[in-house]
Amino acid sequence: MTISFELLVLISIVGGFIGAMSGMGGGVVLVPALTFLGVDIKNAIAISMISVIATSNGSASAYVRDRITNLKAGMFLEMFTIVGATVGASITLVAPRQPLFLIFGIVLLASWATLLLEKGEGWKPAVHQDAFSRWLELKGSYYDQAAGQTVSYRGIRAYIGGPLMFGAGLTAGLLGIGAGALKVMIFDLAMGLPPKVSTTTSNLIIGVTALAGTSVYFASGLIDPGLVAPVILGVVIGAFAGTRLLVRISNVAVRIFFLFVIAALGAEMIIRGLTGLI
Amino acid sequence: METLVGYLLLFGVVLSIILIAAGVAWYRLQTGRLTLEYQISDTNLFQFIGQDAQQLFTGAFSPQLLVNLGIATLILTPYSRVFVSVLYFGLAEHNVKYTLFTTFVFSVLTFSFFRY
Repeated sequence: MTISFELLVLISIVGGFIGAMSGMGGGVVLVPALTFLGVDIKNAIAISMISVIATSNGSASAYVRDRITNLKAGMFLEMFTIVGATVGASITLVAPRQPLFLIFGIVLLASWATLLLEKGEGWKPAVHQDAFSRWLELKGSYYDQAAGQTVSYRGIRAYIGGPLMFGAGLTAGLLGIGAGALKVMIFDLAMGLPPKVSTTTSNLIIGVTALAGTSVYFASGLIDPGLVAPVILGVVIGAFAGTRLLVRISNVAVRIFFLFVIAALGAEMIIRGLTGLI
Repeated sequence: METLVGYLLLFGVVLSIILIAAGVAWYRLQTGRLTLEYQISDTNLFQFIGQDAQQLFTGAFSPQLLVNLGIATLILTPYSRVFVSVLYFGLAEHNVKYTLFTTFVFSVLTFSFFRY
């Protein structure tokens, strides 16, 4: 591999930063960037998957201590994501490369479209909590720094959230990404959690999900330590910076920021998948 | 619980970064290059961690070992987080539901480490 160490670190810093800001993990930037530099997509996915552990751990540690993360919601749903990630990674091992590019692009654009449609709508607390979600003790409150007040909330529809999280885990394992946008969407739309709780709880379970995917890629020899070292160093630096910033800014600003990045990367991957320029 | 999990994750990432950075720096001093060239193959995660631990205790230090230990630390961080959660819900909270949930997650991860 002839890609310079410095370039890999730089790209990974950008990836880590965007990953933390959006709650998506650094993979959405890393996989397109690495393949663009000539890394095989399966290697790129495997390296991205292990770097996602680093991003998630780094950001989650700050959020968890700020008590925004809902640990119970996270631990219930990661049962579904880890199984999904194992299945997804196993599919990637045997899948042809061109469809991987296409799926990657489509997933990015789908995340983008959903977030765009949702934009501007403020979060409203759920009035009625179903019996299953109550049984799971899905409720909480946190102090919102930007709004200057305590927000209380109750989670709903956990029976839909679980199976959907299997899908999010599958996507994560398949593409080597955190699939944070999908997870955030499930928390937001299906389970009625406030955006900040969604983003931070998603970050927590991304780490474990990525670990399940990593163990599959690891055994297949797709993890090249020469690439992993600079990528992890860069991603952690970027994630740390992004996390510090996220706690201080409003919900809308977070959304608008990553909408543009996702759209461009998604389109690029689809074009490469279609034209075969991989 | 929040504080413990938070610091556990932070400690894992920081330790792993230090190990990897030290490995890269040492390799640079030794060879003048930054990018390590070696492969990890035909091994599952437990074997990998076992080999690293063995080299560590026999004193067979090398830049590769430091980078490997960094990767192993990174991998073990979320794994330990799940383990701590099992203990917390089981022993401190006596919450049967969440003890079972976290035990399931821990078992699936352990199984996947060995199987592949």
